[in-house]
Amino acid sequence: MARRVLPVVQTAGLCKTFKDFWRRPRVEAVKNLDLEIRPGEVVGLLGPNGSGKTTTIKMLLGLLYPTRGRISLFGKAPTDVAVKSRIGFLPEESYLYRFLGAQETLDHFGRLFRLPTHVRRDRTERLLDMVGLRHQASRPVGEFSKGMARRIGLAQALINDPEFLILDEPTSGLDPIGSRQIKDLVRELGRKGKTILLSSHILADVEDVCNRVVILYGGLERAQGDISALLSQKDRMQLTTPVLTPETLAEVRRLLHEREQADVLHVSHPRDRLEAFFLRIVEEAQAASVGTSGARGGGVVPEFLKKATQADAQEVVESLIAAARQPLPAQVESRRERATGEPIESGREAARAVIDELLGVQPAPAAPEVDEPRLPVEPAPRPAEAPRAAPRADRKVIEELLGGTPPGEGEGPQKEEQP
Amino acid sequence: MSVVWTVARQLMAECVRMKVAVVFVLLLALLLLGLPFAVQKHGPLTDAVQSFLSYSLSATGLLLGILTVFLARSLADEMVNRQILVVMAKPVPRWQFILGKWVGMNVLNVVFLAFSALVIYGAVYYLRATHPPVDEELDRTRLAEEVLVARQAVQFRLPDFEAMAEREFQRRLEVGAYDDVMDFDAAKERQRLAKRVEAEWRVVGPYEVRVFQFENVLCDRRPESTLQIRYKTEVYNYAPDEVFRAVWWIGDPEQGTPVYECRTRHIVGRYHTVTVPADAVAPDYTLTVRFQNRNPFAGEPQFRNVIEFLSRDGVEVLFGVGTFEGNLLRLLVLMLCKLMFLSAVALLATTLFSFPVACLVAFTIYVLAGTRGFILESLDFASADQAGWFTSAKEFAVHLIRSVYSTVSVILPDFGYYDGVETLVNGRNVTLRWVLEGVVSVGFLRTGCLLGLAMLLFHRREVSEVSV
Ligand SMILES: Nc1ncnc2c1ncn2[C@@H]1O[C@H](COP(=O)(O)OP(=O)(O)O)[C@@H](O)[C@H]1O
Ligand SMILES: [Mg+2]
Repeated sequence: MARRVLPVVQTAGLCKTFKDFWRRPRVEAVKNLDLEIRPGEVVGLLGPNGSGKTTTIKMLLGLLYPTRGRISLFGKAPTDVAVKSRIGFLPEESYLYRFLGAQETLDHFGRLFRLPTHVRRDRTERLLDMVGLRHQASRPVGEFSKGMARRIGLAQALINDPEFLILDEPTSGLDPIGSRQIKDLVRELGRKGKTILLSSHILADVEDVCNRVVILYGGLERAQGDISALLSQKDRMQLTTPVLTPETLAEVRRLLHEREQADVLHVSHPRDRLEAFFLRIVEEAQAASVGTSGARGGGVVPEFLKKATQADAQEVVESLIAAARQPLPAQVESRRERATGEPIESGREAARAVIDELLGVQPAPAAPEVDEPRLPVEPAPRPAEAPRAAPRADRKVIEELLGGTPPGEGEGPQKEEQP
Repeated sequence: MSVVWTVARQLMAECVRMKVAVVFVLLLALLLLGLPFAVQKHGPLTDAVQSFLSYSLSATGLLLGILTVFLARSLADEMVNRQILVVMAKPVPRWQFILGKWVGMNVLNVVFLAFSALVIYGAVYYLRATHPPVDEELDRTRLAEEVLVARQAVQFRLPDFEAMAEREFQRRLEVGAYDDVMDFDAAKERQRLAKRVEAEWRVVGPYEVRVFQFENVLCDRRPESTLQIRYKTEVYNYAPDEVFRAVWWIGDPEQGTPVYECRTRHIVGRYHTVTVPADAVAPDYTLTVRFQNRNPFAGEPQFRNVIEFLSRDGVEVLFGVGTFEGNLLRLLVLMLCKLMFLSAVALLATTLFSFPVACLVAFTIYVLAGTRGFILESLDFASADQAGWFTSAKEFAVHLIRSVYSTVSVILPDFGYYDGVETLVNGRNVTLRWVLEGVVSVGFLRTGCLLGLAMLLFHRREVSEVSV
């Protein structure tokens, strides 16, 4: 950090105990949480169901009052009304007015932010475009599918061009395109200097977009730190090549053995990720203009959101992203199979165990394996979760689904940011 | 303020989209539209219009009262369905949110009230045009002069009974009537005499004449306009088939006004009206009315054919001071004040309880406010001349209930007192003073208190709290 700026969020010893009607303590949802989010950070709040993510977020927004501890939001109390105009919030379910149309919903929330009419109109249009619901703009939100409502929820959270965006499980209920768009959006916004707090139990979401994670379990913070530091394996490499003949492969092995005294651990055809494959199919359908009453297209981040809010935060973020981003289509990848990096801020062994448990990691097999198909069903690209082989039956279905995929096409190109 | 209005708009949109408005209009149609036809069957036009007005206005008041409580559901829903989490994450002060809901509810109340009033107004004119006439001209003038008008009432000036009693007392003193009375108490005797003088004055024997003096009859004195003398008499001990006849002379020749003579035959114990041109009123706005009992002596002492004017029903002069439309408008304002109060009650209850409980509370308060005056009166009566010590359990209970009610009355308005329907139906003026009193006391102070309390409670509450 170049210079010490006022943190967006700072909590100290935050506790929340839910009490029952007779004021007897029932659930300790958050215990002693110290959280600091600096401007420009994209922080992932990770934890299994019921670990206190939503409770934490509600306390940050003043929707719940902490039992103990302090919260400051942009240096103010969470109950301060003025501070809320700098915040965008997407709750864990899109709680929208069922009788309002999509456009009216955005307009309504824009009015609550006291936005002038022309700004409101403009942003509503652009956000509807972004979430791909321009063609459903006048339908009442009550008729929407969960994912469509989610998109409106997201648009609603951005109507005020917030400096600080809180997303509670943003991808839940979204189709892969939607969740990909959200991830792209978060990445884009992060790059433009927005501060983002993203809660999720879907690891891939967090891994793809966040530069720092806080892992909660049972209301306690178990670990926090920089994602790339937490996950990178410094002692391995990954090599992607065109299909090699067995002879060449043998030659490569021999060469490796001679030069580096190392064995090739793993040889396989890279698979298309299901996410990439799915996106391609849908893109093709859209190109052929197949009609749908659902969400369509979108994904273009409107210009008004791109304004950087703080110049120096921008630089910080750029550098953070540079560190975190993996150039996926490149020839050589540093291969990450299990988290060997110590969590930066908590070196405890216990914390390691929890992360491992969360990430579902098993010890890497010692012997080199050949052609083990990896089929993450969720759009979870990283091999970190891969060793959990999908159950056989599921695998067959997926094989069928992927039947037409030409092998060896390589990783679907990771969508880079638009220039 | 823009936020308040946004929240209000949202509530109104909900009301319209959730078909509340449509259903309300249909229900109102159901309640009101059949009515003109129902009342046409019986009686003269005036009675038909009066019963229509009375029924339709009360029904509208009740329906709108129920509706306004149900509109608070918007807030309850938002808390149950958690939209409130999104709204409260926006820069919306909580008090403005509650105020917005209230404003929305009452804009709807205004719209619905206006709609009902138009329907009722239209129906009255429909009735007037289509009612089968008994005597067309008479029916219409009666309706115009006694119902579709705002009239002010003036009671006659009571003679100074004490002075009259004093004169009588002095006379008796002079003739030595009290000379041989033991323990003579002059004050008591004066009181007794005053009562007797008044009683005698109120009784008009056969061929006797009584003069009633009215002051401040501030009417339009042109001969085209009219005024009414409204009276009710009692008669004791009369033969069942007896006809009571009387003559009224209205006007004061000494002041140069014309004198109108009206011969009447009347039924005992019912209100009767005599209508005369308004130029009977003197330039100083006094009115002199003479009344003569025209029943002959019955000959027998128990059938004396006297006519008695009881003190509480008396004789009054009524004269138009405004239009029916203005009157209706003022009545609507009074009704709106009640709805404003009721919506604040409903919102307060909703911030505290789940919606069904809130409804129950709001309706109970609605009923309580309507019966409050009546209950307090009866409790006053029951606990009258209580000497402080509770001599029985019942008296204790009465005291207890009374004190509870008087405490509640501090915040609970007396809907009975502010019920202007009867006044309007009788063609009486719903006075501006009365309406303003209602606006300040019900619409402003009491509503403000409850709304403030609702805001305070909502402000302190964790909106994400779940109560199951
Ligand atoms: N309003 C509430 N009343 C009582 N318990 C609650 C309430 N909200 C959440 N909890 C409890 O707090 C714990 C944490 O919940 P939450 O923060 O929603 O978890 P998550 O991490 O899945 O978002 C859970 O055990 C949940 O049952
Ligand atoms: Mg949650």
